[in-house]
Amino acid sequence: MVPLKVLFGQESFRDGVDLSSDQFFDRLRQADRLPTTSAPSPGEFAAAYERLAKECEGVISIHIGSRLSATVEAARVGAQSVEGFPVRVVDSGSVTMAVAFLCQVAAQSPSLEEAVRRVEERVPKQRIIALLDTLRYIEMGGRVNRAQAMIGNMLDLKPVLGVADGQIKPLDRVRTRGRAILRIVELLRDDYPLEHVAVMHAQAPDEAQRIVDEISPELEKVGVEVATGQIGAVLGTHVGPKALGFAYLKR
Amino acid sequence: MVDGQVLKLALLGSLNWLAAHQEEVNRLNVFPVPDGDTGTNMLLTLQSAVEDIKDSPATDVGRIARIAAHGSLMGARGNSGVILSQIFRGFAKAVEGKTELGPAEVAAAFEEAANAAYRAVLKPTEGTILTVAREAGRSATAAAGDPRATVTSVIKAAAEGARKAVERTPSQLQILRDAGVVDAGGFGLQVMLEGMLTSVEAPAAAVSRGEGVAARPAAQTAMDLPEEGWGYCTEFLITGEDMDVDHIREQIAALGDSVLVVGEPELVKVHVHTNDPPRVIGLAGSFGRLEKLNVGDMSTQHRRILEEAQPNGSGGGEHQGRANNTGLVAVVSGSGLVEIFKGLGVDAIVQGGQTMNPSTGDLVSAVDGVPYDEVLLLPNNKNVVLAAREVDKLATKKVHLVETHTMPQGIAAVIAFNAEKPALANAEAMTRAARQVQTIEVTRAVRDTRSNGRRVKKGDVIAVVNDRLDTAGSDYADVVADALQKLGPDKFELVTVYRGADAGDAEVDALSASLHERFPGLEVEVQAGGQDHYPFIVSVE
Repeated sequence: MVPLKVLFGQESFRDGVDLSSDQFFDRLRQADRLPTTSAPSPGEFAAAYERLAKECEGVISIHIGSRLSATVEAARVGAQSVEGFPVRVVDSGSVTMAVAFLCQVAAQSPSLEEAVRRVEERVPKQRIIALLDTLRYIEMGGRVNRAQAMIGNMLDLKPVLGVADGQIKPLDRVRTRGRAILRIVELLRDDYPLEHVAVMHAQAPDEAQRIVDEISPELEKVGVEVATGQIGAVLGTHVGPKALGFAYLKR
Repeated sequence: MVDGQVLKLALLGSLNWLAAHQEEVNRLNVFPVPDGDTGTNMLLTLQSAVEDIKDSPATDVGRIARIAAHGSLMGARGNSGVILSQIFRGFAKAVEGKTELGPAEVAAAFEEAANAAYRAVLKPTEGTILTVAREAGRSATAAAGDPRATVTSVIKAAAEGARKAVERTPSQLQILRDAGVVDAGGFGLQVMLEGMLTSVEAPAAAVSRGEGVAARPAAQTAMDLPEEGWGYCTEFLITGEDMDVDHIREQIAALGDSVLVVGEPELVKVHVHTNDPPRVIGLAGSFGRLEKLNVGDMSTQHRRILEEAQPNGSGGGEHQGRANNTGLVAVVSGSGLVEIFKGLGVDAIVQGGQTMNPSTGDLVSAVDGVPYDEVLLLPNNKNVVLAAREVDKLATKKVHLVETHTMPQGIAAVIAFNAEKPALANAEAMTRAARQVQTIEVTRAVRDTRSNGRRVKKGDVIAVVNDRLDTAGSDYADVVADALQKLGPDKFELVTVYRGADAGDAEVDALSASLHERFPGLEVEVQAGGQDHYPFIVSVE
């Protein structure tokens, strides 16, 4: 694990290491300026690879999509400085639990080459669907603009965004949060059958649990376990509190 | 024989006659709600046709007819205006290439005009302007069979055929029978044919307008439009004692044209198009007390009222083109609703709706002004749909019509827009989204009528649910709640109340409280709509 960082002014925290999800969102709400996020440096990757070189025969290094973050680029540069040790960097094209699912696939593979093959095969099949409570954070992070999302501060519209093929795309906009939650479940069902799925939330555990209860029976029948996860600091900086959604791999 | 000049005069005659009877046509609306006025819509459509031919030096009838057809199409407003423009188109097609017309050719052109109108409507309904156009054509053809037939006798037969057809419209359409009126569009066409007859028969003479409609003096002597344009349509009533109607007419006629001065010694109605309304009003004031004064600027009436929305909504930042290269144009009225549509990303708003239907030309200009190659067009009003349907043929952009009939349908459709999908896919998704919204429009009856077997009195609160007059009562909150109950509140989740310009705070609070109390399972939101005439427009989804 090479953590990304989130910076509140001059203070830097490693995502999931120095700051828990709840601590982060509390700070995010109170911060007068939005935090910034930063990819690890090539040096940090090089150090991690060198450490691993002592323990393993090779590394598959799976990261946040290159259109969303500079992480993949840093990993590639870091890998070049490690000689005589195979490092295969994979651009996941996605974020959060979707990346974790790819790591799971890699971990179950018999060899490095097979891991790379299996992961790369699944990259185009992963999706994120997210309901944001507000466009404020993702807009300030420069990941999407209001014109693209076609949304104003009226009628209690909730943006529903998706990540596919490494890009954030507006999927829909729905009036009221209750209806938006129904909509993301509908969008998820449109993508059945699934291989892996997680319900992700940023300080919305009750709503997340209700969604898990809703979709678990149908998915468990086909042997898919529904995971849950909190949205971490780096992604949370962009989606904001109360974001809710799915990360999944299509079968 | 009819050559280009005769046709020009005939259409001017139609225009003047229709201008004089505009209000009479307007009063024939079926629902007792403030609505797109048929007389005004037809007049503005005809005016646009006449504006285009009055400066033309062409003398052959084919060319004049073609110019008039184009002008009427660009100026077409409301469904009746669009059908009228199709009548012109059919007429023009029938006389294409001809220098002048004999009686049989005039009759054939009337028949083809009616055929073109029928073809323009997806589901032709009998008892409307279509029937009247057809009967006018048939009567004209019958008259042309007479060996002594003249152009005048043919037009006279057409006008007579139209009048009889108009009288029969209530027997063909239940809604007309219920409302106790004849069809407005059909009557408008009858008036136009009668106006045409006055000018071909003897430009200066009066004409008998048959039974049922009181004969009126042909007050309009000037057959040409004034050089400066139309000026102001000025209307009022004068109440007084022992007034000399003829003397008042003479005096007013000196100050304008399209003059109509009728009445009794105690009450005189004045209609005049003048460039100097204050002078007319001053003069009229010397005869008695003025009432219901209404001055409209005719030259701006058909001018486009178009507002460019901020392409970026409220978010700021630089303009970014949409991935699908598709723009959105909507017809909207009411300041709050305009803001909502702009905020949702609509690129151009054409102001209009219930009482002011924009013309095809207005819509074409708006569509062509949008910086994208394809445009999704939302009429948001049933009476704008036909005009909107013509836009694709005239605009430089590819236009997809999203057939929204109400503001809430329009809002649902715009929300369903996705800039990542091609225009056609959006048109389908938006139409689907619009159909899922139920609309309750609440206003007060403008006259007595019957609805669903119940008497509705002028001033009663009435709810029009999805284009149909539904419930009536005395209280906004009760009427809306009753309409909602009928729709079946269990099927819905969200009620949005768009508050009109005339809705008071107490009325809004009472409505909101009543909905919360009677339907605790529904989410209720109040938004500023700012629309005229309808204190509440309610969206149920």
